[in-house]
Amino acid sequence: MTQQTSAVSYDKQRQTVTARLKKILLARETGVFVALILMCLFLWQATDAFLTVHNLLNVGRQISLLGIMAIGMTYVLIAREVDLSVGSIYALAGLIAGMLIVAQWNLWLAIVVGLMVGMGAGFANGALSTYGMLPSFITTLGMMSVARGAALVITNGRPVTINETAGADPKALETFYFLGQGYVFEKIPMQLVFFIAVAIIGTILLSRTVFGFRVYAVGGSDKAARVSGIKVFNTKIWTFVIMGFLSALAGILSLAFLPSGQAGRTGVGLELDVIAAAIVGGASLGGGEGTILGTILGVLIIGVLRNGLVLMHVSPFWQEIAIGAVIILAVGIDKWTNVRRRT
Amino acid sequence: MKRLSGLPILIVILMAALFLAACAPAAQPATPTPPAVEEATAQPVETPQVEKTPQAEKTEEPATTEGFTLAPAIAERMAAGKTPIIYVSYHDVSNEFAPFLKAGVEKAVADLGVSAEFVGPVGADAEAQIAELESLVESGVDGLAISSASTDALAPAINRFLAEGIPVVTYNTDNPDSNRLAFAGQDLVTSGYAAAQVLADLLGGEGDIIITTLDAAAQWSIDRETGARNAFDEYPGINVLETINTGTEPQEIYANIENAMLANPTVTGILSLECCSTPAAGEYVKRNDLQDKVTVVGFDELPTTLELIRDGYIAGSVSQAPERQGYEAVRMLVDFLNGKPISDVDTGIEVIDLSNYQKYLGE
Repeated sequence: MTQQTSAVSYDKQRQTVTARLKKILLARETGVFVALILMCLFLWQATDAFLTVHNLLNVGRQISLLGIMAIGMTYVLIAREVDLSVGSIYALAGLIAGMLIVAQWNLWLAIVVGLMVGMGAGFANGALSTYGMLPSFITTLGMMSVARGAALVITNGRPVTINETAGADPKALETFYFLGQGYVFEKIPMQLVFFIAVAIIGTILLSRTVFGFRVYAVGGSDKAARVSGIKVFNTKIWTFVIMGFLSALAGILSLAFLPSGQAGRTGVGLELDVIAAAIVGGASLGGGEGTILGTILGVLIIGVLRNGLVLMHVSPFWQEIAIGAVIILAVGIDKWTNVRRRT
Repeated sequence: MKRLSGLPILIVILMAALFLAACAPAAQPATPTPPAVEEATAQPVETPQVEKTPQAEKTEEPATTEGFTLAPAIAERMAAGKTPIIYVSYHDVSNEFAPFLKAGVEKAVADLGVSAEFVGPVGADAEAQIAELESLVESGVDGLAISSASTDALAPAINRFLAEGIPVVTYNTDNPDSNRLAFAGQDLVTSGYAAAQVLADLLGGEGDIIITTLDAAAQWSIDRETGARNAFDEYPGINVLETINTGTEPQEIYANIENAMLANPTVTGILSLECCSTPAAGEYVKRNDLQDKVTVVGFDELPTTLELIRDGYIAGSVSQAPERQGYEAVRMLVDFLNGKPISDVDTGIEVIDLSNYQKYLGE
């Protein structure tokens, strides 16, 4: 009897382990992770400079701002929406905060104003895409232009430089520069620290809270979510507000890293990289799917690819082809596997 | 198992993309296209440190109103002594160079008593530039100054406006494929040559160099790179390792320079071909304490560039007198409308360095 019980228990344990292993292997993140590892192995063999602490920390810093925004985009995509205005909000919020710092506002107040600008733009995107009955593609396309135009108007097209010569307070500058250029333990860039913090909070919010459950629910099916008592519109608006907040945060950190921004160039085209990173990481344009871990892996793939192509001395024109091919492929995989799952 | 179905494809294509890229030719362009300007203006400058005398180089016969039939409406307005209406179209009013040109246009308006407006698309967009110009022509113009977003795309439009009797000059970025009356700006091949010569001399004629540019495929970049490589060819000890296409987004520019420097640890010189990768290269040198090992030479007079020159992180920057370009564009049109002959204006080359940066920084 005891032997029988232990045999059953062993069987259950084995089934549990097998099920967990299967779950891990079936997760889309696993595919992205394996691809990333293979890329890293290839670059390790192909170049001397890739697998050095210096370079890996460089890559970590280079992907941080993209990563922060891609985490926001993951929320939006899971809720079956899209945000094309992130690059423009990144520029607008960063430049406004920068101009206020130069105007000798309190540093933290200037940053809060910048973040609120981002959240406000996100709220407008969300409200128009839900209560306004407009597709988010159109709403955010419009916001992309409005925010870019606003940044050009307030700066008059001139670069905004945040330094003492421009009039900023030296003490405030020291703190501001630390946020973008500083290091923790003399090695880890502050931008990477922000990225890790946003990733942890983002993961907890998405996978361990009722709000996260609602985001998946509205992305999976509007009707089912509504029947379950979920306020679909409000949930979607919150995803846009999070996106706006993270775009603004990235924009401010960008200006803290390179303390000169220009409304016509800052953040231009960033939306495509942000969406691509989230999609490569497994978020679906069809909504209801995606994880923060997957997005981080997607960001890493794009960052490592860009870094590796330069380290291999690949012609800039070929780099465009390689990066484009990976993005198309990632979206293609999303589409093909979606079709298979439905059939 | 369905969810795994994309995995093998993803891995195969990622690796294929990397291998494809790895097998591709190393960074180029090593065979720049021929200069887009007249040979007469493409001569190497002997002493780039010295500002050229304005209007010293005229590339062709002056354009006159003889043989050019003004549109009847324009002729009537000029005969009636009315204020000419001029539009100065720039190929991207949102870039940081635009405010300098606009200031020149505004100065011309104040000095010459004309109505001139600085217009153009947000983001370099040839179609948007043409569409705007067509609308302006419909509303009535007496003269157009155009800096082309694309030589090929704008040339037919410029020729059409000229055929309609509207005087058209070019400035900043020439359009040699068109029949424009005259050009005011810098010879791009010559300026690339001058910048490279400054860098090579500072390095004592020896060293490994990378060239950075926002857009390696753009005509202005190709022209400047042509001039630069011509100059470097005259120094046997100079080795141009590669051209880095940095892209236009500031973070992207810095990251690409950072990666390129790591990939090329022997670099002792960086030549930036435009306004915007110049300060990024200086910033990289500053943050990595490389001022004694890496010499940076670039273009234009952005405030951050001037500050990095002041602090010793950028050795020199070639100015192209942007305000003067905007001013001359309007001045040429006014002269032409008043029956005076007009010629090309070379706005010259001046190298900004520690000896003269104060003039630009306003210190």
